[in-house]
Amino acid sequence: MKKFLAGAAIALTASVFVLAGSPAEVGAKEFLVTGAKPDKLLVIDAKAREVVKTHTIPNAAPGLLTVTPSPDGKTAYAIVNGWESVSGIDLDSGKEVFRADFSKKGVRSKAMFGMDISPDGKELFVFLSPVKLGLGEYEVQDVHIAVYNTADGVGAQPVRTLPAPRRTALLLSSTDGTKLYAVSWDIVEMDPKTGKVTGTHKIRNWGRENYSEPDVLDVWPQFEQSGIFSTPYYAVRTDLSPDDPAAYKTGLVTLDLKTGAFEAEDFEDTSVVIFSSAINPVRRNEVYMVYTQLTKMDRDKHEVVKRIDLDHTYYCLNVSKDGSEIYLAGTMNDIAVYSTDSLERIGTIQVPGGADLALASIRVVDR
Amino acid sequence: MRSNWNRWFRARQQKVSADAAMVGSELMQKWLKTSSIATIAAVVACLAAGPKETAAQTLDGESIVNSACSSCHKRLPDGGVDRISAMRKTPEGWDMTLARMMIVHGAEFTPEERQAMVKYLADTQGLAPEESAPFRYILERRPNVIETIPDEDLGTMCARCHSYSRVALQRRPKAEWLKLVHFHLGQWPTIEYQALGRDRNWWEIASTKIPETLEKAFPLNTVAWNNWQKQEKKNLEGMWQVVGRRPGVGAFAGTLKVDSDGGDHYAAVYDLSFADGKTWSGRGKSIVYTGYEWRGSSQLADDAVNEVLVVSDDGNSMAGRWFLESADEVGGDFHAVRMEKGVSDIIAVEPSHLRAGTSAEISIHGVGLNGPVSLGDGVSVTKMISATPENIRLEVKAASDAADGLRDVQVGKTKGTGALAVYRKLDSVLVEPAYGIARVGGGFTPPVTAQFEAVGYLNGADGTAGTEDDVRVGVMPATWSVEDFNEVAADMKDVAFAGTMQQDGVFVPAMAGPNPQRKYSTNNAGDLKVVAKVADGDGQLEGSGRLIVTVQRWNDPPIR
Repeated sequence: MKKFLAGAAIALTASVFVLAGSPAEVGAKEFLVTGAKPDKLLVIDAKAREVVKTHTIPNAAPGLLTVTPSPDGKTAYAIVNGWESVSGIDLDSGKEVFRADFSKKGVRSKAMFGMDISPDGKELFVFLSPVKLGLGEYEVQDVHIAVYNTADGVGAQPVRTLPAPRRTALLLSSTDGTKLYAVSWDIVEMDPKTGKVTGTHKIRNWGRENYSEPDVLDVWPQFEQSGIFSTPYYAVRTDLSPDDPAAYKTGLVTLDLKTGAFEAEDFEDTSVVIFSSAINPVRRNEVYMVYTQLTKMDRDKHEVVKRIDLDHTYYCLNVSKDGSEIYLAGTMNDIAVYSTDSLERIGTIQVPGGADLALASIRVVDR
Repeated sequence: MRSNWNRWFRARQQKVSADAAMVGSELMQKWLKTSSIATIAAVVACLAAGPKETAAQTLDGESIVNSACSSCHKRLPDGGVDRISAMRKTPEGWDMTLARMMIVHGAEFTPEERQAMVKYLADTQGLAPEESAPFRYILERRPNVIETIPDEDLGTMCARCHSYSRVALQRRPKAEWLKLVHFHLGQWPTIEYQALGRDRNWWEIASTKIPETLEKAFPLNTVAWNNWQKQEKKNLEGMWQVVGRRPGVGAFAGTLKVDSDGGDHYAAVYDLSFADGKTWSGRGKSIVYTGYEWRGSSQLADDAVNEVLVVSDDGNSMAGRWFLESADEVGGDFHAVRMEKGVSDIIAVEPSHLRAGTSAEISIHGVGLNGPVSLGDGVSVTKMISATPENIRLEVKAASDAADGLRDVQVGKTKGTGALAVYRKLDSVLVEPAYGIARVGGGFTPPVTAQFEAVGYLNGADGTAGTEDDVRVGVMPATWSVEDFNEVAADMKDVAFAGTMQQDGVFVPAMAGPNPQRKYSTNNAGDLKVVAKVADGDGQLEGSGRLIVTVQRWNDPPIR
């Protein structure tokens, strides 16, 4: 933080902000990083409820998709430009310090949500779906993961590509960086250097007796505080009558990125739609889930603790490092702050200009 | 057609600014990067009559296709053009293809060139009448149609995003269907992630099984098309007798004079009036594609109207739907029969129902009507008011002991089967459509209304309502209201927010957009029960339907 502070005071239109407190302040401060349409990267002082930086990403319209911060919290990588580029923005200066454009002459490639960075911050993994554009026809190509050296800066080319399953929606690096997970129909574990598949955590192919295949789709990486990836699933009990509300189950998949521990357990009869979830880094049994309701679930007891209706839909959320606050984001033009204890609303952060957050991830960096 | 295109393109423009990243569509991105309102206006074409029709008529569609398309589509050794020669489509289908070439691939055509190309392609690579017959509703833009999809794979693969008929109105060989699959995933890579896409090995199924299924169902080469190409196409000049309906208003009838405007282009003069005497007359222009696809654009009184009709094989009748250019959900059946020596037909009897023991004035509409009138058992003609070969006006009386049920109406040797219903007391009232859709609107996308009608029925011989032998008596005046359809709707107060039910059976939806007054700030969507109360003698009957008030169609192409 201290080194960072030296050159971090950047003049904005209205006032001067830095991404941390005064030099006298002890300990790291948390900033939320997200994106607003059409090309804004927002840096938010979480506890102050204040947008402190609004960076404009070059050639980013119509909006930002997945946002991945570097482990040192200095840079954020965002999928932009109709999902055809990734731009790395220095969070202090707003300068574009990294850029990779996926499409080449005759081949259009789009990042399909999945992106993560190695724990040492040196390699960026992006899941791509390419199509060859012939004069009179298109030809779908195999999907793959493109690996970039973050040090290659603007104009980076992939240093290697890794095979990956189609329909991959999230990439997750293990805490120690020795494994890369692709969340597709199942979670495929691979060697990030070679792409060699080293294991599979079955979701669609779980083969659970008296259950349908579960439905999982989550495009929001929000595991950085707990180090545990979590995502809701929906399944149907085939041994119960379709008229029985108990036949429809919502559950939670968790994958501990440190230990590799994997679990998929029901926690309720399906009663609301849930888009994404995050685990409390302090009270690690608590999971928060969001869409038009905010839900607190105890993942030890596999039961809902509390659920509230929200003022509108939010796609994604994240949790403060001290485990006290939930930040709801995505969809519309505000970030709502809730208490993890009571699920009471304790704050609102308005997006400058009222632009929609839409699909952009909400990430937390420590500075 | 022009307004449909306008709405489609304008909706696209608005959608881009509103929410393009949500779908990540390449089309949207290109649109954002390259389009302006001026270029959109230039793209707008009209299947009925372009701005410079004479120019379009004199242009040679074949040579434009061969020159304008060949920079990307290479000429094949057999004389065909890569991709283009390997498919057959409706006029709307071809026009959508050309629009996509302009929006996505930067092709530049004038409206006249585009019209000439559509004409050439639909004429030489169209669908035979029997091939398009099961799917007319989509070309006619009929609202509230629930499709029957014979193949589950095609339902989940194709009809989860657009109509099944959009596929069923195309013909391609397997290799070409496969290229269409490649195009789909290349253009919309989120297909694999959507519901009914992510739960299966989508690409594997789409690229192996689906092209085979499609070729079997909709092959390029068919006997029907071969035969149709050989058939002599009929000239439509002459006088026609027209009968149609405007739901919520009633029947109209009158004449249509068709004059040649060169080739398959026609000028039309309509002299129409509704049952209440209000006239609905004016002029229009039309183009007939593929020898039988009439696409007309007319000004009738204050209404700009489009017609989508099929010309019969013998060239003596045309049938289909008319609709308002500015709101295609407002429209109805349209039927024209040629007035020609030797042609006789009863098109409609209006009103089509008569209560036993009462007298009424009725009109028999048709062509070549000549001879004594018979209205079946228990119904007598008390006065002949007027009679022409196209219209007979009568005062009639149904005896108090006349049996309930349908009667054939006979004029000389011409018969209208089951054209008149006699009833004593209605047994049931059904709201039609039973399941309707309205859409919130505002800004570039006007609201889409829903028209309901209350239809009286008799139970028929089995004495039970809702069975096969029920007798449809006809549309009845009703008092209309809406209720929340279920507990969820009641909790969301849908009745209060979704819109207004008018006493003419039209539901007018509310404005689009998040509504801060509503729970979750949700939009003004709703799930409503539509209730019609019909007075019948001393009693009252009630019927109900369901109305879903939903969001805008962001993308409203000529074939949905």
